[in-house]
Amino acid sequence: MKKKSSGRFRFSAAAVLLSALVFLVPAVLHKQDEPVVHALYLLAVLVPCVMLLCETVLARMFALDRMIMALTLWLCSVGIAALAMSDADAALAQALRCGAAVVALLIGGIMMRSLSPSLLTSACTAFLGLLILAGRLISSSLDLGLNEAALALLLVAFASLLARQGPVSALLLGAAGLALLLLCRDYANAVFWGITVLLLIFAADGRLVIVFPALAVAVLAFFGAYILAPPGAFQASSPLSVLVSAGWVGTEPLPEAFTVLDHESFFFPLAGHFGLVFAGLTVLLFLPFALRGGAVATFARTRFHAVLAMGAVLLLSLHALTALLSVFGFMPLSRLRLPFLTGALPDLCAEGFLAGILCGVSGRNDADLAEDAHLAMLAK
Amino acid sequence: MSQETYNAVFLASHWLFVFFALMLLLFAFSWHHADRKERKDRFKNLPGAGTIGELVVLSGSNELPPDTWFPVPREGILGSLRSCDLVVPCPGVRSQHLDFSWQDGTGLLIRPRVGCEVLVDGVPVSRRGAYADTPLLHGSVLQIGSAVLRLQLFSALSHTNRPFVPQTPAPGSGSAQWFPPVQQPMQPPVQDPYTSAPAYPAPPIPPPLQSSAADSSVPDQPSRDPARQPQSEPRRKRADRWKEDWSE
Repeated sequence: MKKKSSGRFRFSAAAVLLSALVFLVPAVLHKQDEPVVHALYLLAVLVPCVMLLCETVLARMFALDRMIMALTLWLCSVGIAALAMSDADAALAQALRCGAAVVALLIGGIMMRSLSPSLLTSACTAFLGLLILAGRLISSSLDLGLNEAALALLLVAFASLLARQGPVSALLLGAAGLALLLLCRDYANAVFWGITVLLLIFAADGRLVIVFPALAVAVLAFFGAYILAPPGAFQASSPLSVLVSAGWVGTEPLPEAFTVLDHESFFFPLAGHFGLVFAGLTVLLFLPFALRGGAVATFARTRFHAVLAMGAVLLLSLHALTALLSVFGFMPLSRLRLPFLTGALPDLCAEGFLAGILCGVSGRNDADLAEDAHLAMLAK
Repeated sequence: MSQETYNAVFLASHWLFVFFALMLLLFAFSWHHADRKERKDRFKNLPGAGTIGELVVLSGSNELPPDTWFPVPREGILGSLRSCDLVVPCPGVRSQHLDFSWQDGTGLLIRPRVGCEVLVDGVPVSRRGAYADTPLLHGSVLQIGSAVLRLQLFSALSHTNRPFVPQTPAPGSGSAQWFPPVQQPMQPPVQDPYTSAPAYPAPPIPPPLQSSAADSSVPDQPSRDPARQPQSEPRRKRADRWKEDWSE
């Protein structure tokens, strides 16, 4: 009887094929200069090969979760494709940034294999995270746009403190991070961080004596930020009407209205070139990503890894959700970018690191299960 | 290429992209579902996965009658709150009474929360200091509030760092494997010094799984002794694993 191909094989094959097609079609159709066409052909070969290499060799070598890795790589390749239609050189630069994100993913995955919750881990990551956030307050020249990286570090410290020292110290760290983010006027990241900390505290320590003060602190912080914020900071903007002008399957070239949209968010060129349906289906891939991450966190053996994995899932999912809500005008925040569909290198690396955390925790879960099977065999 | 041809190819290619994107979404869900099912099947075959043994209630309360048992994860919180990893709804047990964590080669380490009192085999365990000196071992009795619980570990776990004395296999047994002497379950104290509760009944006969685990004795550090590695399943070569991985 012929064996049915697995979901993994089908997903990987479809992703590799589509990632080649999205570069080949503009190369064939567009009447562009020869270097641009060459760059598109190069991307048509390079991107699928890197995807294949990462999903097979690297995932196997470092025992990483293949599904999370495959979804991450596909989202990165979609970001490159969104640029390739109009600017092949920018797409090549984005490919390099995505390469850096993949390296960050590998680092996150490898770190999770050996990282343990200790006072040293908490102190180092908390210090670095808070320093990055405070740097922007000390001097504007120290603003390196590393807020997402700082959140990833703070998440490690928070999980370590919650697992080892208890909820109070973790809550203090969470409140310090929230306060710094609000002072930096990074309201979007403050929303993600505040909700993530609250949910993790609620999940890890269900006592109302902990949850209610945490909720009160978060509400007060956001209320204070709303009162003290400069006029226009919370303004809903809905670029949906602009996106609709591109049609269901996209248009070529992009309408003039697209030039006023955020250039570092690749959701807009994606929806413009490939259409709303394709962009919507791509965004929906965050749903299996979140489900998979939630499953990884559920199966984690230790509190530290469970909190860390759930925190990473929450940060990425909330990021995607709020970015989508802001497109529809439901969120009074602008300049929100979907994870992995951004041109900012620090953000891409931080998101890659968070995905790497999930991959690494999943690898640990598999190793623990294999050890259990070994122990069960010994006990027989 | 004429404009009409260009438009037709453009439209066809973009609908093809949409089709592939839809397939990707469906394949992702199918992949996740298949993995979940596979994991569920593995857990079905390994009912004790993620746990180190069981806590058997020797004396509890109306909500926690004797002979009740619950699986013990590798680490977590014990308390009367429902969100705890081990829920012990008994008088004298606080909402979050103690933290526990398994340490290979040592046992189950108990760390009481502030102001919580815990006895391990009749010895009080302090929050600070040498709480690592009184780990819970196989058969150890844990007293928290009015609850008295006995730990029964799975037989394959290495849970003691005591120096072991190799036991000579019985002649004619045909087995060269070494098993350490059986660690007898400790007798619980007669009087609970904290609550002055009446003496709880004699330890019940453990369930079959636990009794067999106790009878077969607890091998010491099985994974570190190459002689005790299972012989039935030879270690696969790396090339075989690669072959299996690429077979799809």
